[in-house]
Amino acid sequence: MVDYVIETNNLSKKYSKNLVVNSVNLHVEKGKIYGLLGKNGAGKTTTMCMLLNLTYPSSGDILLFGKNPKRYPKEIYSKIGSIIETPGFYENLTAYENLKIIAKLRGNHNPNNIKRVLDMVNLDGETSKKFKDFSLGMKQRLGIAAAIMHSPELLILDEPINGLDPFGIKEIRDLLKRLSHEFGITILISSHILSEIENIADVIGFMDNGVLIEEITKDELYDKLNKYVEFKVSDVNLAIKILSDLGLKENIDFTFTDNGKICLYSNLNLRDKFNELFVNSGIAVNKVNLCEENLEDFFTRIVGNT
Amino acid sequence: MLTFIQMEFLKLKRSNIFILSLIGAVLPPLLMFIAVSAFGEGNAFEQLFTNVNMYMSSLFAILLFAIIISYLFGREYNEHTLKSMLTIPISRGKFILSKYIMFLVWILILTVVTTISTAIFGFVAGLEGFTLNLLLDSFAQLLYANVLLFLTFSPFVFISLFITNMVPAMVGGAGLTLINLMVYGQNWAPFVPWVCPYLIASGEIAEYSTSVMVSYGVILLTFLVGIAISYIYFTRKDVSL
Repeated sequence: MVDYVIETNNLSKKYSKNLVVNSVNLHVEKGKIYGLLGKNGAGKTTTMCMLLNLTYPSSGDILLFGKNPKRYPKEIYSKIGSIIETPGFYENLTAYENLKIIAKLRGNHNPNNIKRVLDMVNLDGETSKKFKDFSLGMKQRLGIAAAIMHSPELLILDEPINGLDPFGIKEIRDLLKRLSHEFGITILISSHILSEIENIADVIGFMDNGVLIEEITKDELYDKLNKYVEFKVSDVNLAIKILSDLGLKENIDFTFTDNGKICLYSNLNLRDKFNELFVNSGIAVNKVNLCEENLEDFFTRIVGNT
Repeated sequence: MLTFIQMEFLKLKRSNIFILSLIGAVLPPLLMFIAVSAFGEGNAFEQLFTNVNMYMSSLFAILLFAIIISYLFGREYNEHTLKSMLTIPISRGKFILSKYIMFLVWILILTVVTTISTAIFGFVAGLEGFTLNLLLDSFAQLLYANVLLFLTFSPFVFISLFITNMVPAMVGGAGLTLINLMVYGQNWAPFVPWVCPYLIASGEIAEYSTSVMVSYGVILLTFLVGIAISYIYFTRKDVSL
């Protein structure tokens, strides 16, 4: 039986007449990185807020660590670290002081632990700088430090790489991967940046207009990505005739462009035979590529189908 | 709860509002000192303490307390820290209670500052009749008035949660100050929650035909209604990000 750390059942949120999260059934497996992918306004943040009890669901159920968080809030939420949108901290305080407040209120204050997490996010040198003087990237990194400081079993991170520079993104990505793979921490991470989710997630949930369209593992995703063969030929019309004579249908089995490109979507294993037929018919085949739809194309396709 | 109060103090580190509130607590004694020094209004410590307590608890404290309570609750929204606090987790009921207790602690500090600064200004002005008993009696009177006033500020908790910037609290505080000015000395003053505390603490309530228990009832009712609507609103409302 699969051990889910997060499980929702028809989770919905309605603001007056606006249904922003619509019957979401989320399944986040223990020890995995689950990437929640969707455009801005897809319902990712609202879903995460409901998981964290910051927003009350209009209907549906939530199970965290297999339990109802309303019945065991202290036990469950003390095992969770989170960032929702831009991390909020007290502007007149330093990074250390801000983390001290959180640690004290959690009841696990340990100065060495605070220094350790500040070191992990490269903020250990900022001993006197007040939070209000932090850059967006520094604020984001402090948010991550606060989220991991108490060694949580689950991280819920809403757009955690917002505002980070490419080096910062890589650092945080590596850190999250390490937390998941070395320490077994389950991570639910949302982003509208497809490449980021593709880079980090083991399982991807696609959200659009409040609906969780699809939940698939990365392996399943790669199987679902459309593959095609691209021919670059000297005579497109003749090539089309050859394919049509073989019973292949335009716009279904293949497409073409005016600049001599033919994309073949079916019978990919016969691509060498098609190539041979083209050459034997006097068509110069300049290029044959086996191509694969990327995540962006896949996302556009499945969102477009809803 | 003690940890929460300690952390509330840490949150005030380098905070201008705390310093400003201390200056606010010194302002009535300073104004009375100027009145005594420049206009020769009385030469006794007792008179100075009485005037300071009256102006502080019936007028100036209303505005000051409104700003403080608005800051205590509103900053968690304005600095986006509420989501961090509640996911620690801290229950919403405990959050309101802890903040409200911090408000009381803040009031106690201001009361001490007002009383001590009054004594200092009295000595600087060369007033007569200072005794330790007078100081302690004056402190007790101001403290009693301010604690009763603290109870009547629970509706401001709701206002601070409902509209999270400080403007409504400042407008409300200024409005109540004006109301206090208007009703002070009127027959129905014992029915106004924000006037009663001074009337009770100073003993002036005896000059009215209304029973003191009615004023206590008005204060208690204001407190309970304010706390109830604040709790209901805060525990049922989604946290705005």
